[in-house]
Amino acid sequence: MENLISKKDLLEAANISYGQLYRWKRKNLIPESWFIRKSTYTGQETFFPRDDMLLRIEKIKSLKDDLSLDELADMFSPSPALTSLSAEELTKRNIVSNTSLEMYISHHGTTNSFNFNQLLTLYVLDKLLQTGEVNRSEGLDLLDVLAKHSQNLKSNESELIFIRKMGVSFFILTPEPAKLFVESQAKIIVHYKLNQFTEELKLKLS
Amino acid sequence: MEKTANKNISISGSGTSSGGEYNQVKVNGSAHINGDLTCEEFKCNGSAHIEGNMTTETAKINGSTHIEGDIDAKEMTINGSADIDGNLFCKELKVQGSSSVKGDLKGKEIIIRGSASVQGNVSCEEVDVKGQVKIKGDCEAESFEAHGNFKIDGLLNAGTIDIELLRHCEAKEIGGENISVKKTRDSSGFKKLIKFFMSNHNDQLTAEVIEGDHLYLEHTHAEIVRGNTIEIGPGCVIKRVEYKTSLEVNESTKIGAQEKI
Repeated sequence: MENLISKKDLLEAANISYGQLYRWKRKNLIPESWFIRKSTYTGQETFFPRDDMLLRIEKIKSLKDDLSLDELADMFSPSPALTSLSAEELTKRNIVSNTSLEMYISHHGTTNSFNFNQLLTLYVLDKLLQTGEVNRSEGLDLLDVLAKHSQNLKSNESELIFIRKMGVSFFILTPEPAKLFVESQAKIIVHYKLNQFTEELKLKLS
Repeated sequence: MEKTANKNISISGSGTSSGGEYNQVKVNGSAHINGDLTCEEFKCNGSAHIEGNMTTETAKINGSTHIEGDIDAKEMTINGSADIDGNLFCKELKVQGSSSVKGDLKGKEIIIRGSASVQGNVSCEEVDVKGQVKIKGDCEAESFEAHGNFKIDGLLNAGTIDIELLRHCEAKEIGGENISVKKTRDSSGFKKLIKFFMSNHNDQLTAEVIEGDHLYLEHTHAEIVRGNTIEIGPGCVIKRVEYKTSLEVNESTKIGAQEKI
């Protein structure tokens, strides 16, 4: 594993105290799997994945005045929030664009209300369309793959990868973090952590 | 399972039941329950063996009880002994006798006046120990208060940790906001008696790592101690201290290296 940060450096970089770190761990704001133990010359030390950890701490610090720690824990947990929204509300609250909603409905049929998993699918689609990383027909492929396999992606670390080679494109979903090496003509267009979408969506819904 | 809500079972002497839903379950002799038990009130004055899970509002165990599954209780008092093969979820748990849990222990308030051992992890808001506790996994709490003996094989993580040592206490790692470790001061009555028999056991805490915001340590043996404000009292042996704001060290203490960060 590269790009780790020791606990001491982390506290300094993020300007937090030991007490805060332990409190957040207790409240499940920081996943157990991010605490990586290694032997060093001073004995056992704890390391963290640098980018994930700094991003998470930044989020906790910016949100902790508005939300309680328990609410934050709900937001970071991969388990879906218990919400359902109607199509009207979705566009009214500007959570996803009309285009994505129409695509979703024409693909899956109309529903009165969307549960969290459906919302997440919709949100991922919208996000990728809006950034221009996928086109409409690729968006349909995305809906397919998410519909078929999203129930297998319960873990914190699921990732979505989109690869294109000479105009041919495909999606990969993985329950574990993946490191990919591709041939020179192939291009990894996106490589997202699904949990990131979950967090963003929960924030938009709350 | 037959639904028999609003009914009571009372076993005096020796009896067997198949489990089910009840209002009140009372055991005065010896009882064997062959399935899952759901009730409002469980009281055991003799001995009970439950071959399944138990869900109850209140449980009072004055005799001995063995449960092969999980327990989910709002309020539970153990005056005798309880052996739980599964997990124990209990909002308010009071152990005055002895209890052993093979799984995890989750609750809000845990009071231990006797002895308790947990093979899994413990997580709750308040832990108050005046007795002995052994935890094989981690222990997480907002407040951890121990005036007695404990052994935690994993991490002790609590907002406020207040320890008065009795004999040899142990935790692999300790982390939190305010951590205070002191030697028991009032050597009266019972404690004097224990000390008389265990004269070769010194009151001491052993830990590999102790990290917190504000630390006060006495009679602590540790590899590394890290914190913002650290005060080290008598009888400590610490290999390395790292501090941010302040460090005070008692003369009788041995510290290998100290560093201000």
